[in-house]
Amino acid sequence: MFPVIDLGPLALQAAGLLLILSIWLGLLLTGKFATHLGTNGDVIENGILYGFLSGILAARIGFLLTHPSIFMENPLSIVSLTPSMLDVNFGILAGVLVVLITYQRKHLPLWPTLDTLSPLFILAYGGFQLANLADGNAYGLPAELPWSVYLWNANRHPVQIYALILTVGLLIWWLGKTRLTKQNGFYHSGILFSVTVAGLAVITLFTQAFAAEKHLLLGVDQIQLLALVLLAGNLFVIYKLGIEKPKKVMVCISMGSNLEPLDNLYNGSQSIAAQFKILNRSGIYQTKDLREGHQDRHYLNRVLQIETALSYPDLITKLKEIEQAHGREPGNKEIVPLDLDALTYGKQVFCNQGRQIPEPGILENGYMLLPLAETRPEFRHPATGESIAELIAKLPPDEKDIRKIEEVKDGTEG
Amino acid sequence: MQKKRYIPIASLILLLGLVWMLLTPITFPGVQAGSSQAAHQGFHAPDFTLLTPEGQAVTLSDFTGKPVLVFLWASWCTVCKATLPGLEPVYQEYAPQGFEILAVNMTTQDTAASAISYFQTQGYSFPMLLDPDGEVAQQYQMHALPTSVLIGPDGVVQKVVIGAGMNGGELRAWLDEVLTNGQGE
Repeated sequence: MFPVIDLGPLALQAAGLLLILSIWLGLLLTGKFATHLGTNGDVIENGILYGFLSGILAARIGFLLTHPSIFMENPLSIVSLTPSMLDVNFGILAGVLVVLITYQRKHLPLWPTLDTLSPLFILAYGGFQLANLADGNAYGLPAELPWSVYLWNANRHPVQIYALILTVGLLIWWLGKTRLTKQNGFYHSGILFSVTVAGLAVITLFTQAFAAEKHLLLGVDQIQLLALVLLAGNLFVIYKLGIEKPKKVMVCISMGSNLEPLDNLYNGSQSIAAQFKILNRSGIYQTKDLREGHQDRHYLNRVLQIETALSYPDLITKLKEIEQAHGREPGNKEIVPLDLDALTYGKQVFCNQGRQIPEPGILENGYMLLPLAETRPEFRHPATGESIAELIAKLPPDEKDIRKIEEVKDGTEG
Repeated sequence: MQKKRYIPIASLILLLGLVWMLLTPITFPGVQAGSSQAAHQGFHAPDFTLLTPEGQAVTLSDFTGKPVLVFLWASWCTVCKATLPGLEPVYQEYAPQGFEILAVNMTTQDTAASAISYFQTQGYSFPMLLDPDGEVAQQYQMHALPTSVLIGPDGVVQKVVIGAGMNGGELRAWLDEVLTNGQGE
């Protein structure tokens, strides 16, 4: 137990410091992860910060509201800098609410955002255990073991250390699965988050058995019960998101060609129609090939909206087969009879083995974004929640300079 | 992972969790803290007998039935000296209801002379006790000053605050709860 850290004249509360440090580290990882996933790191981080500050403010105000006489006596107590007069529960409630409202207003997508926050959950949990260790809270049952710690006049299970070791293990798993934040590790948004929370639930369920203070509800420890319910909930979510036979997924495919493009686009559409159900198609857009020595070549592009039950890896394989059936030579970037890119895969957000969904090119290429806007004007970016209008506004100016050469009538001909 | 493999694995995990949870109250029953003594929330406050500067003996357990604040301080401790004035008005208001403050001076880290001189100059009305052997400092696991220990009428520690977190407002809030319900926040 080490409640205070002495730094010369300053005595710092170790628990608070450790918790803040852990959350800071968690936010660092979250930020890095957001960059690689393509989710809106700034909004996510800011949301947490606003929530934290609002929480502290609400905790103070909440306390004074329940004890108005204290406020009447000394109105300045509202800005008192001492870590006292705080209604912690109210503060947490308000903080979480502020985070939710901030995310909601920015239309952040639920599962990709939670995936992005998963390292913060692990680190905050670890920080909480460290804080307990520092203050001697959540201490263990008396036990004479070679690794017992002497605390509160007895040798005890070092419960907080059990939890810390397991949490570090979970963090190492997380870092390995995401290859140090470079990828999601799963092909469905939300699974990384659910597995993380399930892991924390298991750690709690297991270590809480060795805690000295237990509050029973229906004969079982309340905290263990909550952990078990959380575990069950997440196992169910994992099943729903990733295991259950997928319903049809809506995929937007960008089709392009710079060799006899009109023919190839037409034939390409036919091949796609033979394998998948086509929901909608855009008109045909022309872009110049701006590469050195190729200015005489034009690309024609369009976007097809299809439905499929294939998994993402299987879908990519199928698209490659179709490309090669139309004469595409792998490695030949000059002459492209047919190019098929999956821009989106349902609402999923992931980045595995070098492939990122949604396709990052949507944010940079007019030939991807503009036809997409035509087929799906109500589109919101699965990773950031941005609308079509917001995405187009962010395009580099010369990317908008694209000619549409064929209108599409009722979305079925072109 | 296929549905066929996932469902049995998930069910097994849940079953193991359920069994562990059901066995816990039997194999690892919780321990009521109030039975043993320690300077931590939930434990019985360690008893002590110390002398006032006038030589009068004061024993903590004499105050059972009343809420007590044991305040560990020293005359060189700036935060202590910033906190003490805020406690005086609260003491005056709640003493009639039985509230007691025992300002235990850590005399091993201080001198009796400076402590007494400071206390008398400030004119606090609650008792000051001297801890020349460090008995209370050790029993109460004093890591830093001030350390405030809030003890309920049943003699059980309800809250320990290290540092600046104990002020008049916090104390009033606790006393209001304790005097109504016997249990503070």
